Amino acid sequence: MGSGGTLQQEIAVFGESGSGKTVLLSSFYGAAQEPQFVRKSLFRVVADDFGQGARLHQNYLGMKNSAKRPEITRFSATAHSFSIKLKDGDAKNNKGKPFDALRLIWHDYPGEWFEQGVSGPEEAKRRVATFRSLLGSDVALLLVDGQRLLDNSGEEERYLKSLLANVKNALLVLKDDLLEDGQPLVEFPRIWIMALSKADLLPEMNVFNFRDLVIEKAREDLEELRNVLEGLVEVSEALSVGEDFMLLSSAKFEVDKIEVTKRVGLDLILPLAATLPFERLARWHELREVPWKVLDGLLMGAGAFAVMLVGKGRRGGIPVKAPGPIGAVVGILGFTALADALNDAARLGSEKLEEIHSEALAQQHFLTATLAEFRLKLNEAEDERVLIRSFG
Amino acid sequence: MRLIWATRGRTWGFQFRRTGGFDDPLPEYEKVFSGLDEPALCRRVGEMVALRFPDPEGRKDAAGRIIPHDFIVFSPTADEIDSLEDGLALVWDEVKDEYAQAWDVPRPPLPQG
Repeated sequence: MGSGGTLQQEIAVFGESGSGKTVLLSSFYGAAQEPQFVRKSLFRVVADDFGQGARLHQNYLGMKNSAKRPEITRFSATAHSFSIKLKDGDAKNNKGKPFDALRLIWHDYPGEWFEQGVSGPEEAKRRVATFRSLLGSDVALLLVDGQRLLDNSGEEERYLKSLLANVKNALLVLKDDLLEDGQPLVEFPRIWIMALSKADLLPEMNVFNFRDLVIEKAREDLEELRNVLEGLVEVSEALSVGEDFMLLSSAKFEVDKIEVTKRVGLDLILPLAATLPFERLARWHELREVPWKVLDGLLMGAGAFAVMLVGKGRRGGIPVKAPGPIGAVVGILGFTALADALNDAARLGSEKLEEIHSEALAQQHFLTATLAEFRLKLNEAEDERVLIRSFG
Repeated sequence: MRLIWATRGRTWGFQFRRTGGFDDPLPEYEKVFSGLDEPALCRRVGEMVALRFPDPEGRKDAAGRIIPHDFIVFSPTADEIDSLEDGLALVWDEVKDEYAQAWDVPRPPLPQG
């Protein structure tokens, strides 16, 4: 959650060297600059740092026009901040709402940081700083490299076990640096999605096949990773590790061309980062009996989000007089009303979401319409077997 | 020949293979290479020369990316380099055998000073 009227979400993409992190980021940003996207979307994705944005766009165009892959990321991480700017006319309609803008922070860093030592004290310092930032996110994507699965065809466990062990060990090595005075973290990615990157290389594999492969070949290793994560976080019941799965393909890579229009799952990244945490909070509270008060930090962001969709608590409908900015929301509404809103929002089915979406569009409430659209997109992705959301 | 050399192997990641005698060569490397995106370059920085070129034998990493080699060349070798071709001829000759042995092993030998 950011300050003022901006809901800020960080996305943590965990992946080894060559697993497609920079390509994913470049493709996410570059595709959002295409005229087709700009024309039909309710929002624009704008890089807060012009130079960084230009570099990502250049990477994207290099892939699209010259089959050129982005340069290898060396020794340092970059935090990319994107503002999700809504169509004109939303600002005045959003007066008094919990937030009126979205921001996504996405860290890109060398994947070697999971696999090998660092070159010296300076890189070591950067690695800790980057991991700290990554662990401040609500949602983490753990990239499973489709190329490596293909290379280990029939013996996929060799790769999957090594991947999960590398992530686990990197976290264990850094544990003392990541925890202040050994205290478990409250802010932590509580949802770890297993994401098959370069899914275009495995065209026969849908998300269910992918899930089954991971569970069949590496269930114990996933469990071990979960145990390590539990040791880092407060209220470990509120943690989903390897319960959600998705397919990702930033482009279709061929020998002499890269087809950037053949993307899978990239349009789910914003919706997942923005909406999954609040959906999941309601479930954790209900099914795992996690008390709201221990999740209050998360609840503030998630609750404010829910208010945008269903209004204040049980009243339902489009919020007309919800208070803002975010900092004041909890104070004015109180946790109970926010929790109600959260529960209501999490239960919305596609039909109701469509209704909210159309009504919000008619009233030019573009942010509410966007959030409804995000939820609808996730529902569609499940139907298309690109995404599995946890039931727990 | 005094060099800082950063590269990667087929499976091992980007790291320093020569440190130029520095305990931590990264700050020195970044003074020169920070913000440079070109896949091939030769740039004089004071008495040093920054060189970058794709692997002359076209070797790639496991993800299919051509492997880059980044060098900072110190005096006196640096004084003999006026172009990428000069640099490539002098420096690659120095390291090519070492790289040929290291690039496809799971863990490369420790870097040299």
